Amino acid sequence: MWCLSGLFGSRVGPALYPLLRVVSKGNQQYPPLRALQASAVLRRASDEHKKEPLASSSQQHFDSPPAGHQPEQKPQGPHPSYTGQGGQESEDYESEEQLQHRILTAALEFVPEHGWTAEAIAEGAKTLGLSVAAAGMFRSDGSELILHFVSECNSKLSELLQKEQKLVQLGEAEKKPIDEFLRDAVEARLRMLIPYIEKWPQALSILLLPRNIPSSLNLLTSMIDDIWHYAGDQSTDFNWYTRRAVLTGIYNTTELVMMQDSSPGFEDTWRFLGNRVADAMAMSSTASQVQSTGEAVVQGLMGAAVTIKNLAGLNQRR
Amino acid sequence: AAPGSVPGRSNRSAVPGPSPVGGTGARLAAGPEMHFGFQTVTEEERREKIYQVFENVAKKYDVMNDSMTLGIHRVWKDILVHKMNPCPGTLLLDVAGGTGDIAFRFINYVRSVRQRQLQRKLKHHQNLSWQEIFESYQKDEFNSLGDSQVVVCDINREMLKVGKQKAEHLGYSEGLSWVLGNAEELPFDDDKFDVYTIAFGIRNVTRIDLALQEAYRVLKPGGRFLCLEFSHVSNPLLSRLYDLYSFQVIPVLGEVIAGDWRSYQYLVESIRQFPPQEELKVMIEDAGFFKVDYENLNFGIVAIHSGFKL
Repeated sequence: MWCLSGLFGSRVGPALYPLLRVVSKGNQQYPPLRALQASAVLRRASDEHKKEPLASSSQQHFDSPPAGHQPEQKPQGPHPSYTGQGGQESEDYESEEQLQHRILTAALEFVPEHGWTAEAIAEGAKTLGLSVAAAGMFRSDGSELILHFVSECNSKLSELLQKEQKLVQLGEAEKKPIDEFLRDAVEARLRMLIPYIEKWPQALSILLLPRNIPSSLNLLTSMIDDIWHYAGDQSTDFNWYTRRAVLTGIYNTTELVMMQDSSPGFEDTWRFLGNRVADAMAMSSTASQVQSTGEAVVQGLMGAAVTIKNLAGLNQRR
Repeated sequence: AAPGSVPGRSNRSAVPGPSPVGGTGARLAAGPEMHFGFQTVTEEERREKIYQVFENVAKKYDVMNDSMTLGIHRVWKDILVHKMNPCPGTLLLDVAGGTGDIAFRFINYVRSVRQRQLQRKLKHHQNLSWQEIFESYQKDEFNSLGDSQVVVCDINREMLKVGKQKAEHLGYSEGLSWVLGNAEELPFDDDKFDVYTIAFGIRNVTRIDLALQEAYRVLKPGGRFLCLEFSHVSNPLLSRLYDLYSFQVIPVLGEVIAGDWRSYQYLVESIRQFPPQEELKVMIEDAGFFKVDYENLNFGIVAIHSGFKL
């Protein structure tokens, strides 16, 4: 997804990419004239960050790790990276995306005031020194802003979980029991919504529009997957699906409870979360009890059937 | 960078000469061959002829637009402004905007967005007393256009005159400016405008690449270029019907309504000579715009191209 690729593109760190611009959709040959024309905004970004000067004179270089991000050493993980050496197209794709990424990040601070709308994006663009017309790059319903925010939150959650895992591996922390782990992870993720809680219902409704469902579902499932991964789930059977379905249910219901929670510090929400996780744990043990009971009952019935056959003389062996 | 393979265009050698429109450049040459509809003329002749065409049609321009497109051009222009989705405070440059259609729509749109903004503001301020609300009106904080402005630029005096009269007649006064200027050499400074639009005008520009470069120059970083223009229909059946309508009906309408079939013959021919969607997209990218894309309206009869100065 474009937001993920832009995200990881920013993580690769300051490298010098030749800015040979390519047609956005096709792989056409480019006359040299285009290579000389500098991009107005992206070059300014490199000025701001005071990166090293460029090598060749016939090419325009740029590098712009987004203003709000520090270059991270974190490995790319399972997600595809679009920052490979191959192809001018992927590198250029990245530069527009990086800019879009920066605009959306800047727009987040205007969300409490304007909501998840094109206006917030326009204000964000203004803070970066761009014209308000730059908001035209995004869809006018603000869905890209929301998806960007969600994917940012998901990556923050991943980092958090990974850090915790490292601490456990180094022996500096205790490994948490599963229910506590899940509860903490979901709570941490939901706390990221708190600054935007007033406009979040609007965001949820936009994410449920048919056009946005594939992307929002994708983000949701990858987050749940992440949480289970760090919880140590290594199942390869049907359990995999059950666990994710259960956790998705817990997360969604807790999110909805949070929307209308007015208790101080959202205590009601956390209590609700704790109860749901406990239910889920109990459910799994209940399920195995039911299964063993069921097996026992079936065994009993079989035994009874054999006895009856014996009594009726149908089981004769000569 | 001369654009490619449209019939009627020949490769140009740089022939410096006096510019017909008083510009400084040796770029606007008198030189080699260009197309004027299906005729071949020099660049200078082309400019003069086009100027005369619009001088002749200026008074009946709107009427003819309605009759030729059966009123659909209004929808196209509405779609253009909706796509622009301007917020209050936007500075728009409408080039070849002669009679002001895009400018008026822009003002209407911005006004209604501003209304909604003000209503939302007032909702938050419901604790203010009526006295305070009244005082804030005095402070002009609640101006109805939110500082948006549109500059209508056209090369043809007659078209601008008609536009100004229309504005008076319809009651548009604030936020509008009328400037005489050539799209190939705009009389504006760099990095000034948020949005640049050219609706049904770029076809008549003699050097499209220069116009695109000028557009790039006067736009602010992050600014948007929007071009609404007749384009190529790929559907063969529709294309035949369209050709039939264009060449048989439109010049006749021109003669009957405006008394000038030649101008409308030129119009129809110039549509055929204009580069198709993909080629125009490449030209726009050549001028330096990013995220260039186009949207076909009515199967390609009209296309909106959009690009950003990034």
